[in-house]
Amino acid sequence: MTGPGLDAYLFLAAAMFAIGLFGVLSRRNLLAVIVSVELMANAANINLVAFSRFGVHPWGQALALFALALTVAEVVVGLALVILVSRTHGSLLAGSLRDLKE
Amino acid sequence: MPLAALTILLPLASFAILAVFWPIRHTGRPAAWLSTLTAVASFVIALLVLRDVAPMGAPPELWTMPWLVHGGRVIAEVGFRVDAVSASMLVVVTCVAACVQVYSLGYMSHEPKPALGRYYAWHSLFIVAMAGLVLAPNLLQLVAGWELVGLCSYLLIGFYWAKPSAGKAAVKAVWVTRFADIGLMCGLVLLYVETGGFAWEGFSWANPGASELVAALLFLGVMGKSAQVPLHVWLPDAMEGPTPVSALLHAATMVAAGVFLVVRCWPLFEGAETLLVAMSWIGAITALVAAITASVQTDIKKVLAYSTCSQLGYMVAGLGSGEMLGGYFHLTTHAFFKALLFLGAGSVIHAVHSNEMGEMGGLRKKIPLTAALFAIGTFALAGFPGLSGFFSKDLLLEEVAHGGQWGPLAILLFVAGLTPFYMMRVYCLVFLGEPSEKSNHAHESPLVMLAPMALLAIPAAVLGFGAGSFGELLGHEYHFAVTPVGAAATVAGLLGLGLGYAKFGMGQLASLELPGLAAFVRSGPIDNAWRLCWERGLLPVARNVGWFDRYVVDGLVNFSGWITLEAGDRIRRLQTGSAHDYLYAAALGAVLIAVAGVVGGVLA
Repeated sequence: MTGPGLDAYLFLAAAMFAIGLFGVLSRRNLLAVIVSVELMANAANINLVAFSRFGVHPWGQALALFALALTVAEVVVGLALVILVSRTHGSLLAGSLRDLKE
Repeated sequence: MPLAALTILLPLASFAILAVFWPIRHTGRPAAWLSTLTAVASFVIALLVLRDVAPMGAPPELWTMPWLVHGGRVIAEVGFRVDAVSASMLVVVTCVAACVQVYSLGYMSHEPKPALGRYYAWHSLFIVAMAGLVLAPNLLQLVAGWELVGLCSYLLIGFYWAKPSAGKAAVKAVWVTRFADIGLMCGLVLLYVETGGFAWEGFSWANPGASELVAALLFLGVMGKSAQVPLHVWLPDAMEGPTPVSALLHAATMVAAGVFLVVRCWPLFEGAETLLVAMSWIGAITALVAAITASVQTDIKKVLAYSTCSQLGYMVAGLGSGEMLGGYFHLTTHAFFKALLFLGAGSVIHAVHSNEMGEMGGLRKKIPLTAALFAIGTFALAGFPGLSGFFSKDLLLEEVAHGGQWGPLAILLFVAGLTPFYMMRVYCLVFLGEPSEKSNHAHESPLVMLAPMALLAIPAAVLGFGAGSFGELLGHEYHFAVTPVGAAATVAGLLGLGLGYAKFGMGQLASLELPGLAAFVRSGPIDNAWRLCWERGLLPVARNVGWFDRYVVDGLVNFSGWITLEAGDRIRRLQTGSAHDYLYAAALGAVLIAVAGVVGGVLA
């Protein structure tokens, strides 16, 4: 079996997760935040597929497929919320959403 | 259900009707007649019950039903116990009650209609309570009746509630008797703990020492209810109530409930030797102190109140001799002649519209019938030979002498002389001498008031000749015989009568004045002592406890509230409401957990 080893995949996933986290924390725009969350979720998927590929358990790939489907559903809900927020608040900046405080 | 039950149920029906249907109560006289009829019916039934009752020693007629049931076990029963003691007391109670209710038809006739209805509703309740007490098959029901008569006492003392002094007197009566009832309650609980029931006989003590303690605790309650020194202070104040109430509750029956409790629970008291000696002394001292106080009062009702107190002391001292017949018989005769005296005093007050003896005088010619009936009461109380008080006092003193209690006996003999002295003083000041201005306008009371007095005068005069059969009923042999003690009491009594007449009837014996003592006694030394106890003892303690409560207990509570508010105010600022801040916190937490895991792994 040739190609990159397990470590490479794990590093890729860790990097993607870190980038996603950075994006979630640093971006103010809600759309960018959602994209960053997607990055983090896909980093986890890469881990699942990689471990499966390198022989831990074949079901990892199946789980990754399920996770993808769920992520899609989550994005749908997230985007719907974003649309609602933009309608009610007139902006997509996360900093303007302080209603919880009151 | 025994016939005696009707003596409770009839007045109960009357009370229920008057209490619930206020239009009937507000009719005044019809309400009064309803209550009076049930009272008279109760009296007739009580006489029938007494006629058929078996002498003491025979098994009592019992009718009970379970009252407090816990886990299938009957803790207490409620019902009726008809035996010689309860039947005889029932006659006394219902007789005086019926007389007083008839009398009140005249005495209270000027009251507004609703007030009259209220008055009679409470009188009916009183008969229910008192008969319930008398017929109680166990101590618990007796105490329930005891509390109810206390309630009636409170309500009837405070009948003229618009008068501040009446309200205060009512509250005082409750306070003092309630204070004494603490002992009664403790005794009741101890009795239940020790014997597993509320009976006063028919069991053996697992712990013999407890029996005397129970009796002593019960006696504390008796001291309050039967106005023994120093807990007698409420009784003179209770004279704020209408005079018929004083006659029924605060002379004849309710205050005698304490003595009756001792008689009823005699198996508990019989063996308590130390307590009996203490009872003799307390009774004798009460008799003496109250008789001295009665000698200097100017209010006719106050004299009679202190006299009641003194005679109750007599009864308690008699019971302390270890024999109950004398004390109980004196209770019986006293109920009749003292009720007669109070009704007579009421008739006098009705005629001259004043309680002060200084404003009376020469009333014998104006109201001769009242004067004659009052004289019967006076001589009966004085122990004039042949009248009821003579026999009961003789029997009582005989028992005290037989019990070998010479100290109390000496005091009681002295009081036997003092009692006629102050009663003669009352009679002379009220009925003899020059008529005062108020006396000139006096009119004899109506028949409705005189008839009950005449009825009471019969037993007051001749009941003494029934002493033998009374003793037989209660299972004690008694035959009148002239004894040294009886002779001494009779001489003392006649001497007291003579001295009293010489001093107040003829104006002789000025040297008998003791102005210093009189002023001291009138100032109410025992009331003042209680006030001092309150001001010097209770109040500082209460203040300190109050301070502790306000500043330490409340302080802790307030501090915990303050710290919660303050902390909440500070911590609230952490919540910015911005999702990003929460995410930062979550990420920081995750980092910290990771760091902790790594560090923990390295250290392990």
